[in-house]
Amino acid sequence: MSATENLIAKLSEGLPPVRRLRKPWLRAALWIGFATLLIAVLVLLRGFRADIDECLRNPFYLIPLAGSWLTGATAALAAFEVSLADRSRLWALLPLPAVALWITGFAAGCLADWIAVPAGAPIVQDSVRCLTTILLASAGMIAVLLPMLRRAKTLRPNETAWLGILAVAGFADTAHLLIHVVEASLLVLAINLVPATVIVLLGGLAGRRAVAT
Amino acid sequence: MKSSRRSDAATEALRAAEPDATHRPPESDWSVLMARSQGGDARSYRLLLTAITPYLRSLAHRFGLGGPDLEDAVQDALLTVHLIRHTYDPDRPFAPWLAAVARHRMLDRLRRRMRQSGRETELTEFHETFIAVATNQQEAAGEAGRLHAAIAALPEGQRRAVEMLKLKEMSLKEASEATGQSETSLKVSVHRAVKRLRRLLGEG
Repeated sequence: MSATENLIAKLSEGLPPVRRLRKPWLRAALWIGFATLLIAVLVLLRGFRADIDECLRNPFYLIPLAGSWLTGATAALAAFEVSLADRSRLWALLPLPAVALWITGFAAGCLADWIAVPAGAPIVQDSVRCLTTILLASAGMIAVLLPMLRRAKTLRPNETAWLGILAVAGFADTAHLLIHVVEASLLVLAINLVPATVIVLLGGLAGRRAVAT
Repeated sequence: MKSSRRSDAATEALRAAEPDATHRPPESDWSVLMARSQGGDARSYRLLLTAITPYLRSLAHRFGLGGPDLEDAVQDALLTVHLIRHTYDPDRPFAPWLAAVARHRMLDRLRRRMRQSGRETELTEFHETFIAVATNQQEAAGEAGRLHAAIAALPEGQRRAVEMLKLKEMSLKEASEATGQSETSLKVSVHRAVKRLRRLLGEG
């Protein structure tokens, strides 16, 4: 028997049944649901930002808000699709339009007074709370997303990790925009790049080894 | 309706994929075999892996892999299929899934090999070296330096004789014409020079 035949015999011997991966869109929908719920819980705990009524009438607030949520949703779907070997890599482009909407907020944020900060708003105190909101939201979402994506034992660990982190960053900013006055969309993205880099580096090592012989 | 069609197809597939079958099972049957394998059917799995091996070999061949590398690549692809078999969706065709997985692993292998060949040089017979002096050609090149130095240290007449007769490979007659010395005296000079060189280089 040749080495290859031997291997086939060994692999099929006592073959255990496996739990088939559900459709990527369904897995993405489950996680998007979880992330949205997490945002709602954070808003309930922290309360809406002080100027929410005014904001909801301002397109410069609403467009980045919608963009951030859509970035989260499309990037999540793209991550689940790209993690599968036989799906197109072009899925990675899906979040681009949503990202374009979202980053209009970054630009507006740079103009500092794009939205009137209520007089005497406790900005410094809010900054600390704002940071914890971002960290809480991001950590909670990563904690659920990472094991879900790892189930795919993907052959494309880098693309999957970047898309996953983009999804987390998008949703974390949705929470942030709803709760806090301080403009920090870029900060949210930057904060999420740290775990992203770590995951990509570790995933690059572990992921490749996991599927290698 | 759909499920009964599927189980018919599965029976068909098993019959078609028996080792003594004369034709290769059609692609849709691979998909059925994989679906059954996911459920823990070892026989279907073995049939499937056996059936896809020639395809993997031809794919590896197309990637320019040969010899032991080819069989390694095939086994690597089979192992990867095994590790991620839960990610196959039986509603989708099997061949593109298999091709994507195998191609990915083979490209990885090629990339690794390219990186290696950029850094490493394979040992050839020329690189191998043994204790016997005769096999160490690099050492011999070093000896040439010593020899030239020894020749330079010879008395004028002997040096000229060695240079002309041994290094430039002139005939006795040519050397005699060039120096004006008789052939006999040249012979004597060369003989003495060689003797002296032997002594200088520590031989004989």
